[in-house]
Amino acid sequence: MTGQRWMDFAGQAIFHTLVAALVIEALVRLWGVRQPEQRIGFRLLALAWPLLVVPALFLVFPVREGEAFRDARSVFAGRHWDDLAFLGVGLYGWWIAGMAAMGLALFLLDLVPWLRSRSAEPPPWIARTPEGERAGEALSRAAASLCMAAPPLIFLLEGWPVLYCTGTRQPAVVISLAAVDLLDRAELEGALAHELAHLERRDPTLSWALMGARALMWFNPGVQVLVRALARDAERVADERAATATGDRLALASGLLKLFRATEKRIPARSAEPFPLSASLAEPIARARAHDIEQRCRALLGPAPEPIPLAGFRFAAAAAGLGLLLFFVV
Amino acid sequence: MTAAGAAAMGSTVSEGARALWILTLVLGGATLALVTLDSVPSWMHGEPRGIRRASGVEEAERRLQAKVLLPAYFPDTLRWPPSAVRFIRDEGGSVALSFLGADGAPALFLAQTAGGDGTLPPALLGRLAVIQQQSAPLGDGAVLARVVAEDGTLWNQLEWSAGGRRFHLRGRGSLEDLIRMARSIHGGPR
Repeated sequence: MTGQRWMDFAGQAIFHTLVAALVIEALVRLWGVRQPEQRIGFRLLALAWPLLVVPALFLVFPVREGEAFRDARSVFAGRHWDDLAFLGVGLYGWWIAGMAAMGLALFLLDLVPWLRSRSAEPPPWIARTPEGERAGEALSRAAASLCMAAPPLIFLLEGWPVLYCTGTRQPAVVISLAAVDLLDRAELEGALAHELAHLERRDPTLSWALMGARALMWFNPGVQVLVRALARDAERVADERAATATGDRLALASGLLKLFRATEKRIPARSAEPFPLSASLAEPIARARAHDIEQRCRALLGPAPEPIPLAGFRFAAAAAGLGLLLFFVV
Repeated sequence: MTAAGAAAMGSTVSEGARALWILTLVLGGATLALVTLDSVPSWMHGEPRGIRRASGVEEAERRLQAKVLLPAYFPDTLRWPPSAVRFIRDEGGSVALSFLGADGAPALFLAQTAGGDGTLPPALLGRLAVIQQQSAPLGDGAVLARVVAEDGTLWNQLEWSAGGRRFHLRGRGSLEDLIRMARSIHGGPR
């Protein structure tokens, strides 16, 4: 492909993602889609646009790239903004450059801490302490409530509360001494059931796939934001699964809140390391994280969300409508 | 079908209709927003949607896929290249070139259809008031007029059809220069 064609591809990928994401977001709210699984389905539709639909449009309909289509048939053509120039460069070029910079910043903001955490020395861990035993028993109970085999438990002697799941081929749950100390029996079981729900859904593998999509679309801020929204939805799905399995929604909400409060002071300090801009971004990131936790706790305080009726029909109609509209956006 | 089944079916249909109505509203709003966004560059140039700007004659020719005919006679009192190259794709496409005079003021305007000798789109020509009009001794269908532009300036205007195209030449200089330029356009009046 020529440079001009790559620019058109990048511009359309960015613009289509923005339009698709905004339309899907509006539909999710107006249709009242509250169940996290259904939200994930709709958001994956928006994510499919830059990854699958835009490349397909370029391959199957080269007529869309013609100037006749752009000037006479399109609903919106980014290149029309090149009629306005700044410092000799059309505004469309500036817009793509700005968006690409934003996309790269959002990607690196997550990638750099992730790479650092992977290259860090493995923390010391032991199998048998009273806390380790307690965590092991809670994990077995949580696994039984989810009707799955308990994965290996990695017990850390960290002073900070740590609780996460890991592994694509060899899944495991990682928990620290501080986390076991912090949570009571029901909260610990709920929190471990949440991590097991992630493993049950193969979320660690999915997160690799989504990281791949982010790397492929590093220039696309819409993709970076969408993947983050999908990660939040995955947390909500795991919350609901754990709450249903353990039957104690309040204990999970309480555990979630305790873990957040115990770790919130540490997050800004960690995220301040990777970037020169990280210090200024730490505050909004911390606020966004607090908002996410609040939303998850609120959802757990209420009953489990009901699925909307005719979900398949709505999905198909939204896909068809978006396809029709975005065909004429070049 | 039982009454309960019919009621459930009715509820499903109304739910589906409501979902489609919301989808239509959202997509309609998105379309409106996109059309508005697409019109902004034209509006910022003070022109209606559909009129595009090109950086030069070559770009206009490439985008319209048609040759733009230029006068071979070009007086020294005019500046080259054109100060604005605008085109529209409606009805086969038309292009308009604006030229400044040596004093930096608009001095010449040349518009032509890219194919077909139909009328030139008024949006491309701008609003003009004809104060005097007569047939010109330049061939069939040639019209010479004295017009007032929107800014109140007086122009000589010549319109003719030739070679399967419609031409519109408007100048603030002498009428002799305007006619000479018209005749020097390949396919112009003889």
